[in-house]
Amino acid sequence: MTKHNRINSAIIHIILIVLSLTMLVPFLWMFLTSFKTIAESTQVDPFVVFPQRWNADAYTNVLNNMNFLLLYKNTILMIFFRIVCAVVTSSMAGYAFGRLKFRGAGFAFSLVLFQMMIPSQIFIIPQYQMISKLRLPNTTFALVFPGLVSAFGTFLMRQAYKVLPKDLEEAARLDGLSIGKTFVLVMAPLTKSCTIALSIFTAVFAYKELMWPMIVNTDKNSLVLASALAKMQGQYTSHYPELMAASLIACVPMIILYLVFQKQFVEGIATSGVKF
Amino acid sequence: MKRQDLRHTTERNVFFWGWVLILPTMVGLIILNIYPMIKTVYQSFCKTGDFGRGNIFIGTANYAKLFSDPEVWQATLNTFKYMVVEVPFSVIIALVLAVLLNRNMVGKSVYRTIFFLPMVAAPAAIAMVWRWLFNSQFGLINNMFHISTHWISDPAIAVYSIAIIGIWSDIGYNMILFLAGLQEVPKEYYEAASIDGTNGFQKFHYITVPMISPTIFFVLVTRIIAAMQVFDLIYMIMDRSNPALSKTQSLVYLFYQYSFVQKDFGYGSTIVVLLLLLIMVITVIQVFAQKKWVHYN
Amino acid sequence: MNRKKVMSLLCVSLLAMTVVFANGTAEKGTTATESKAPEKPLSVMIWDSNQEPGIRKLIDDFTAKTGITAEIQVVNWDNYWTLLSAGAEGGALPDVFWMHSNESQRYMSNNLLLDLTQRIKTSKEVNPDDYPADILGLYTYNGKYYAVPKDIDTIALWYNKKLFDEAGVAYPNADWTWDDLYNAAKKLTKADGSVYGFAKKNTGNQDGWYNLIYDGNGYVISRDKKKSGMDDPKTIEAMGFMGKLINENLMPSPQVMTETGEDVLLGSGKIAMTTQGSWMLAAFRDNEYTLANCDVAPLPKNAKTGRSASIYNGLGWAVSAKTSRPDDAWKLVEYFGSKEAQLKQAQLGITMSAYTGTSDAWKNSVPQFNLQAYLDMQKDMVIRPYSKNTVKWENAINDCMLKAWTKEMTMEEACKEAAKQMNAILAEE
Repeated sequence: MTKHNRINSAIIHIILIVLSLTMLVPFLWMFLTSFKTIAESTQVDPFVVFPQRWNADAYTNVLNNMNFLLLYKNTILMIFFRIVCAVVTSSMAGYAFGRLKFRGAGFAFSLVLFQMMIPSQIFIIPQYQMISKLRLPNTTFALVFPGLVSAFGTFLMRQAYKVLPKDLEEAARLDGLSIGKTFVLVMAPLTKSCTIALSIFTAVFAYKELMWPMIVNTDKNSLVLASALAKMQGQYTSHYPELMAASLIACVPMIILYLVFQKQFVEGIATSGVKF
Repeated sequence: MKRQDLRHTTERNVFFWGWVLILPTMVGLIILNIYPMIKTVYQSFCKTGDFGRGNIFIGTANYAKLFSDPEVWQATLNTFKYMVVEVPFSVIIALVLAVLLNRNMVGKSVYRTIFFLPMVAAPAAIAMVWRWLFNSQFGLINNMFHISTHWISDPAIAVYSIAIIGIWSDIGYNMILFLAGLQEVPKEYYEAASIDGTNGFQKFHYITVPMISPTIFFVLVTRIIAAMQVFDLIYMIMDRSNPALSKTQSLVYLFYQYSFVQKDFGYGSTIVVLLLLLIMVITVIQVFAQKKWVHYN
Repeated sequence: MNRKKVMSLLCVSLLAMTVVFANGTAEKGTTATESKAPEKPLSVMIWDSNQEPGIRKLIDDFTAKTGITAEIQVVNWDNYWTLLSAGAEGGALPDVFWMHSNESQRYMSNNLLLDLTQRIKTSKEVNPDDYPADILGLYTYNGKYYAVPKDIDTIALWYNKKLFDEAGVAYPNADWTWDDLYNAAKKLTKADGSVYGFAKKNTGNQDGWYNLIYDGNGYVISRDKKKSGMDDPKTIEAMGFMGKLINENLMPSPQVMTETGEDVLLGSGKIAMTTQGSWMLAAFRDNEYTLANCDVAPLPKNAKTGRSASIYNGLGWAVSAKTSRPDDAWKLVEYFGSKEAQLKQAQLGITMSAYTGTSDAWKNSVPQFNLQAYLDMQKDMVIRPYSKNTVKWENAINDCMLKAWTKEMTMEEACKEAAKQMNAILAEE
């Protein structure tokens, strides 16, 4: 490496490290707080940074009182099915909106955009009533319900399909493949990176969603991580060390998920099939 | 003759396939989302009774009240302030990060994971941590730099402090999207440019940005919409005793207060309709503007 | 991706979908087989997970007695009322749930709660005379009862013994007047702002300045709930005390008080005194600093009127009007209100029970604190001001108060403005 390159490299690393620290500071605080006593965690003057004694009571209490395995299972099931629904329906619609010209497409797509603009709190009560009528609260289906289709996903996949080159598609059609087969066999595989991105987002949005799971799955066997964490916050005050411990334990599956997906992401370059 | 037939069937064929492919999404959207929205619009023309009963149609009275309500217009201004700061910063920083982390460099997986982390932090934890960071007397930032800014209780700047938290949370999201978009840019373009002697910045400006302009467009549209809908951050960090609340509360926050706290669904729905119209106008402008700067193949 | 992969993916998805649905019905199936009684458990909904273990014990005792099972569901405060509203609109409320004075009028006037009048009349365990009349009144509509009182809470004065010792000021006692508090606050407030004598934010009405108003024989809402008392001369005079504290900087700034809760300030030694509701006991008990250094005294009295009132409020156990098992649900609620269960509830130290005379057990749950102070406040209790749209006008008043706290308005102006807005909201009811 030339000297110029090395300096460049060093500067870039410094920038990245500084930014990384700002990303991490809150997590460090969460980690430290989970080992403090209640007084230490709320004390303001001076703010206690390091606990006097590293006691793991918060972790033992939380692990004993909360059935994390069940919470993980419920949350992961919800995430899995939401991903499947979002990817399947959004890829189909994204391909159609992105590459086909047909009557009504413009209007339909504007409805898709329209949905994204509506604040989601509007949907809670009507959707709850639908689930209630179907007699399906406290099920995985109920958790997946608002995510059966995804306007956001449709928009994302449309952009992904729009940028693909025409030649492969035309070749497939000339070969006699129907539009459906062209989509499944030729075009869909080319959007691997965006599909993975969509999966990651669907997973994160589902994981963070609170209002809906809290309302529709109240039975303690069908809770998800977000609801369990929210319940830990008392009406007037919270047990902060335990809340932090639980929040950290709750992050773990998401981080693993991301690490797994991230590899797929990178390999997308090699297999995206975009060659000139 | 044959050619005309072919074209005719192709058009019908395309129409058929088009609708088959979008049907699940459209049906889902109409049942799950459009129908509730229509109900909401109807409610905005009513004085709503309790529990959906006894809605009295009052025409545009709610809208009249809305237009002369200074709280609503302040909330609109607050929402715009938040959006105007949060979106550009989070997009630009994320774009730079994505480009930096797209090359072969040491530790790129580690960095990518670190920038992703805020996306999975529990909202309760985020609120607690940032409230500590921003605490004017005892917080880390003020104590580290020996200043006494009232980050979240000064009406003039609180909304921007919330925007900082927004930027912190959203960088990961934007970065992932940009990384996805960057995968589609063929290496050959960069190699050819290197041979021609272009430097890093020029490559960024003339190759990267145009090639991922569809992604940038997508990120801008979705982030602006999301920023206009900001609620959770404000709700978790500030409460009614905060002097800065009136200069920070967003339209969705106001809607939540009216509909879910005070149970006045009629007026709350009116606020939603206003927000929707504002977002629609901004999005339409962006959609038309995309012809000027977004390059599809 | 070739055809086989697509087909197998489709098959897997279909299989998964069936699993989901089966999972859904299976979950309900297991609940049915797990309960000992032939029916499925009663659904009980609350919003405070701190009280869940205690109520679980009460339910277990109840099941042992009657064989009827019940399941508790906890939904946090923010979403509790949304869930009940959605259920009310769509028809499926839990069998038994907590009711609060903010919402009770709305639920009763819309026939969503089961009328318990007849059952209470014939009940041996639940007798209206055994509960504070005002609490029962919260859940009475058109002369009929719609909930069984669960608990009460009062307000008292917390103080930091260490700070008092350092400043050489005598601890608060039952003879204190608000002027004594003012004088003590002056001595305890340090010039460098490291300690303030008192703290109460603008939204601290029930656990703060409402008490002052009633001590001065002012009022917040008229008995017929049609008029605001915020501009009554006696109210304004009482609120003048808060104005004094604000103007002489004996309290932290509103910015500090909004960023850092009063309990946190107390627990960090930043304030010497604050008024707090009995519900905060758990927080002060679990914090080692406050457990060691703080104590509680009755609220001071008004020097002129001699009155030391405490605002009080209480939750109620309600039954859904549309429950499929009214008799069983009533039995559970009756048990919750019985002397036996109310005693147990108080013993667990979470809340003062509504049943008269059972709260002594609560007092003993944390011997380090002088919890008798809260019991003493029961001598003069004023029900928390409420009406059909309580939250709406409370928010309006608090917003006006905020302007007084930030010194944008004088206290008198703020009170008058608050009354104006409150009257407008009451007129719409």
